[in-house]
Amino acid sequence: MAVDTTSFREVFIGRFDDLKVVFRVLREFFSDTKFYGYKYSNNNVVFDKINIVDEIPFNISDIQRPGFYRVSHGYRFRHSYCSPKDFLLPSEHRLLTVSQSYEFIEDIESIDSSIVFFGIKSCDRKAIDILDHILYGRNPVYTKRRDSVKAIVVEECLEPGETCFCSAVNSGPTISKGFDIAYAKLDQDTILFKYGSLVGEKILRSIGLREADEDIIKIYLGMVEKAVSIMRSRIPDVEDIQKVLVKIVADKDLWDEITSRCVGCGNCNYVCPTCFCTEVVDRVEESFSTRVGVRIGCLTYIYGLVSGGHFRQELYTRYRHFVLHKYLFYLKQVGDIGCVGCGRCITWCPVGIDLRDTLKRLSEVEKR
Amino acid sequence: MSMKLGGYISVPNPFLFMKTIVVDKLEEAPGIYTYTIKFDGEFKASPGQFNMLYVYGLGEVPISLSNIPLLQGSYTLIEHTIRVVGAVTKAIASRLEIGCFIGIRGPYGNGWPLVEAEGKDVVVIGGGIGVAPLRPIIKYIERFRERFGKINILYGFRSPKDIIYKYEIDRYRAIPSTKMFLSSDTPGEGWMYHIGFVTDLINYIDVDVKNSVVFICGPEVMMRVAVKKLLDKGFRKGDMFLSLERRMRCGVGVCGTCQFGHYFVCRDGPVFRYSDIEDYLWVEGI
Repeated sequence: MAVDTTSFREVFIGRFDDLKVVFRVLREFFSDTKFYGYKYSNNNVVFDKINIVDEIPFNISDIQRPGFYRVSHGYRFRHSYCSPKDFLLPSEHRLLTVSQSYEFIEDIESIDSSIVFFGIKSCDRKAIDILDHILYGRNPVYTKRRDSVKAIVVEECLEPGETCFCSAVNSGPTISKGFDIAYAKLDQDTILFKYGSLVGEKILRSIGLREADEDIIKIYLGMVEKAVSIMRSRIPDVEDIQKVLVKIVADKDLWDEITSRCVGCGNCNYVCPTCFCTEVVDRVEESFSTRVGVRIGCLTYIYGLVSGGHFRQELYTRYRHFVLHKYLFYLKQVGDIGCVGCGRCITWCPVGIDLRDTLKRLSEVEKR
Repeated sequence: MSMKLGGYISVPNPFLFMKTIVVDKLEEAPGIYTYTIKFDGEFKASPGQFNMLYVYGLGEVPISLSNIPLLQGSYTLIEHTIRVVGAVTKAIASRLEIGCFIGIRGPYGNGWPLVEAEGKDVVVIGGGIGVAPLRPIIKYIERFRERFGKINILYGFRSPKDIIYKYEIDRYRAIPSTKMFLSSDTPGEGWMYHIGFVTDLINYIDVDVKNSVVFICGPEVMMRVAVKKLLDKGFRKGDMFLSLERRMRCGVGVCGTCQFGHYFVCRDGPVFRYSDIEDYLWVEGI
């Protein structure tokens, strides 16, 4: 990967405690702000409101494999089944409440303060761009929540997890825009900081970090390159995949084979940071009904089901939609592919189906 | 690909519906009803667009407008023809009588390209309840007859008793330079028209195939057969338009449940030019 070293003139170096200082200064800078990010509680990492800096999973790591996730000792936490989507488009969100006489009672939930995302990953940030294209300005819940986000602090992962492949889909591990502050852990107590906005610059300068020297930057770039080379080989070339997909869209036997182990649970959809499909349900109480948006996964049986028929009855058509949507259709819908290479769909698949195997299998078709 | 956000903009909640009142209910055929709904104020919609109809506590269904909205001073009359198939349509048919409330929001979708059809012959092919979204086309042509060439209407139903808008058929026949063809899958008493599929009627089409548009709505299998036969007859891919349906929850392209290939049927459709969907129409479950 070509890295433009000229853009590294203003990179700062600090200790682990400086990360906590950044958190504190940001909190002072944005008054009446809530911080959201990955949060460690009860041996579980959720995406939620961070009350105190120690809740941020600085001192844990994770082990991820197809169908396997464990929190472990270390300092290289990547992500969990959660993502910023859990804030921006909650798994359940009120759309409106109406009375029995069809009178409007309540609108969507209001967001009463500004939000700072702290410690989201480069892949997460890219996923937000994708969601913006689909939902911003159209979905009122997403738009309101997205507008409340006033600053974004990104952590670049310098050691990818086993299911990660962000660099193969241009979603990381480094980030060049769309953030205020980014940091990367060179080791447990050496943190590299860079800014991506005027606010970020102001904050980093205010806390008296020293500028990173060339040796440090070299170490950083070396780690980035290593991460990139590990991940690049994990899936075939995206353009090749796309060419094959166009050709084998209607190859039922191939898709049946690829889908043979899938159970159609939709976990991949729910953990995917770019999956946005929602269903609307009515929750009726005494004299009013709340219309609630809830997530629906294209792998689940009800996706495509209508009264009197089913547009995607066979499981292979739904798994195929997942793959085609991410790798072909998003390109037409938002101008980029919809997969950010986070690997969550692989890690959280209960039977360990590996999207990377699917993509490799598809590329073999090309060689036939 | 990072995009510029508006910042602090408020998006009107698209799920807010208008409270309307049922002013007429007509049983068209077994399990099929045409509702006339009174909407306070003006409601504009093009032929081929649809509304989301909401029944309290149950949910919404996407239903095409089956007539051009009629502005009556301070209110508008809107017609929807509903076939009972699922929970919401069953609730509408069994509970909603004249004077009852119903929520509506819309109109959504693109509608039929009637401006593009001007100066051309028009073929309308409908199967079963698929006739409902086509009806506004005929009403429109009737109103602006001089803008269009010959009209051929091909309607098919499962049995003679399933015909909808039968009280209007003679009126359609009376429109100048209009041919009306009917078919029924099964015979019935007094049935003097074609017995078979509506797509059989394509053989009788009498228009200038190189200067026509074809509007099709019905079950997807029927539309596929129609497209094949029309292509054989010499109609061009770009002159055929199909109105599709899918599971739909929002109407504005955010719920993602109506995807058909890379299209959102609610927003990019429901009417598609055949040449835009030929890669998808023949692929099961795409």
